Amino acid sequence: MGSSNKKLIRDDGKRMDGRELDELRPIAIKARVLNNADGSALVVWGNNKIIAGVYGPRECIPRHDQSLYRARVRARYNMAPFCSLEEHGRSGPSRRSQELSKVISEAFENVVIAETFPKTAIDIYIDVLQSDGGTRCAALTAAAVALADAGIPCKDMVAAVAVGKLNGQIVLDLSKDEDNFGQSDNPMAFSARTGEILLFQMDGLLTKEEVAHGIEMAKIASAKIHELQVEALKGAYDSEHKTKLELNIEPQKI
Amino acid sequence: MAKIVVPGVEVAQKPLRMAYTYTDGEGTFATVISLLSEEGKLIPLEGPYEPLQDDYVIGFVAEVRFGGYDIDIASPYRAFLSSREMRTKLSLGEIVMVRINKIDEVRSMELGDVRSLKDGILHKISPVKVPRLIGKKNSMINMIAQASGCRMLVGRNGLVFISSDGNYNLAVQAISMIEALAHTQGLTDRVSHFLSEKTGKSIVPPSADSNMNQAQTNGEGQGQQEQYGQREYSNSRPQYRRHNNYQR
Amino acid sequence: MEIQKELNHEIVKNILKQGKRIDGRQKYEYRSIELERDCIPNAEGSAICRMGKTQVLAAIKVDLATPFPDRPDEGVFSTGAEFTPIGAPHFEPGPPRVEAIELARVVDRGIRSSEMIDLKSLALEGQEKVKALYLDLWILDYDGNLFDAATLASVAALQNTRMPKIEDGKIIRGEYEGNLDIKTIVTSCTFAKLDESFLLDPNFAEETGADGLLTVAVTPEYMCAGQKSGKAGFTQKDILELVDISFNKGKELRAILGQ
Repeated sequence: MGSSNKKLIRDDGKRMDGRELDELRPIAIKARVLNNADGSALVVWGNNKIIAGVYGPRECIPRHDQSLYRARVRARYNMAPFCSLEEHGRSGPSRRSQELSKVISEAFENVVIAETFPKTAIDIYIDVLQSDGGTRCAALTAAAVALADAGIPCKDMVAAVAVGKLNGQIVLDLSKDEDNFGQSDNPMAFSARTGEILLFQMDGLLTKEEVAHGIEMAKIASAKIHELQVEALKGAYDSEHKTKLELNIEPQKI
Repeated sequence: MAKIVVPGVEVAQKPLRMAYTYTDGEGTFATVISLLSEEGKLIPLEGPYEPLQDDYVIGFVAEVRFGGYDIDIASPYRAFLSSREMRTKLSLGEIVMVRINKIDEVRSMELGDVRSLKDGILHKISPVKVPRLIGKKNSMINMIAQASGCRMLVGRNGLVFISSDGNYNLAVQAISMIEALAHTQGLTDRVSHFLSEKTGKSIVPPSADSNMNQAQTNGEGQGQQEQYGQREYSNSRPQYRRHNNYQR
Repeated sequence: MEIQKELNHEIVKNILKQGKRIDGRQKYEYRSIELERDCIPNAEGSAICRMGKTQVLAAIKVDLATPFPDRPDEGVFSTGAEFTPIGAPHFEPGPPRVEAIELARVVDRGIRSSEMIDLKSLALEGQEKVKALYLDLWILDYDGNLFDAATLASVAALQNTRMPKIEDGKIIRGEYEGNLDIKTIVTSCTFAKLDESFLLDPNFAEETGADGLLTVAVTPEYMCAGQKSGKAGFTQKDILELVDISFNKGKELRAILGQ
């Protein structure tokens, strides 16, 4: 979040990349792209490329992490050192990655029917292979597909998207530059069927009305993202489907 | 036409107790990716193995303990085979077919009715596709056994034993085909066609008055696939009980 | 895992006795190989190599760095490997396992010794800093033979590495001036030893069931890297035979790389 002086909305009312205020970046989702993971998904979202893989239910290690009543749902968000356009990054999870791992895990703890598999762990691994803003939402979206692909019982699916404020306007799905120079960043995740908000983070300055407007905008967008998730899952059962990770797929305009 | 549904999709507008669903008291929703038939039946397309009493599973000896063996059945839950259940000793890594005699609230299992499986390989498939691999009255698995010349046994946990003295590769190819197309119609014919082509022989599902191949290719426990009825897992919450029947 | 290794050992041996491999391949036959280039445009160079079910991503980032004190007029080339927990059920999050370190160092050795990159050309005129190439190997799907898949992916990534524009001693991201100059091509062949047989391009079962592995990296003229891993002993004859096969297979692999 940065100064509000930088011009991020053009005179014609569109954003610098030509999008409307409430327009998503192009997105493509593919399920079952890896062989070893029990379930997997690739999300290409604008310039983001994110892969999620699920293992489980499996033995919960370390043992002291085990719950006698339910499975532990553990998501791990990690950025590859080559993911940003800038310098080569460091290895290992940053504090930010650890925080995101926590809030993403908690979103899934809501929907996974963990009581079906006590004492086990359901491990969700999300690697950001290329980043350009909004990675936590793309990560969560990918993870939900991977969970369904693995057949982990869930009461619902989850789709995530962020809203923000640029030059005083509420906009949908910030790219990295928009996030850096904009006035607010507000990522959210929605339970697809119930509309419950399962992830909610915010920084910057927003009035009450702006918050409400943002949530409305995000909710509508999350439904569109969910449609792509469903298509991706069905696509894995296509007769032409091949289990391989093709990172060069073209995302479609939504 | 059956259609694919994802978790959260409504499958009934009233609260039902159905396997692989969740109810909020008003509607009933799928919990795993499944095929929803026109009649409203849900067949899961993917998912982990949920062990039930009397299931026959395949695994290998993971650890030799005092008084018995820990058997790895590709499950996160402990499966113990007491020495009292058998006359001979087992060695580490030995492949066995066993029955789940007892299962407790934390899903630890006691095994019995051991049968050692020698000279073969274990192949893993998704547990929910086991009925498809076996087929009606073992028709599918018999075709593969016949075409490949391998002895084959399928555990309810998704582990398949294939003897190494036949065309193991062909068996694995057929199994992979079934896994990939489990949700489609006409699979038996497709597999029959594939196997006939690969072997140059006519491989067809055996007729109802079957031959001895049946006994060879399946453990005694496979008969339970044809038993219908609800099995109850003692600790599951009411809305998450699962059936142990798969209607085609 | 330990029992799996033993089980795999028995299984692979039994099938070998019939003169076959588990998946029906010949002893010195590769699985199907696919290369997808420039799949991570944010990185200066990238490629994914699929070898059977193994999938390895290689990405190159170009930065400016302080050169190694003993080589002040050479660019930096550094390799890391991540056995990301997505890649296999037994990969855990955390610091790299020794196998990851070994993989990174062996791939690095192959590239460095082959002299496919002229490190001196990465120095900057009259500057303290030099260009640095960071190669990251990201193991997305492990089904044996990471060495060969990683080497192929790395070379393909290096082949499409764009050099970023440098102005006033700083990198201008998003703007490029030409590609990295590649002098030759390195390829590697990895063999699993099981009793007296050698199997090229082992899959997971063959690799974990093997008594040992030998990786040989070659350019068209020279052998440039070698690594024996596992506890098996190799005879002189064994090693020379495998080096020979690696030179022969080099043509096939270089063709896949477009050379």
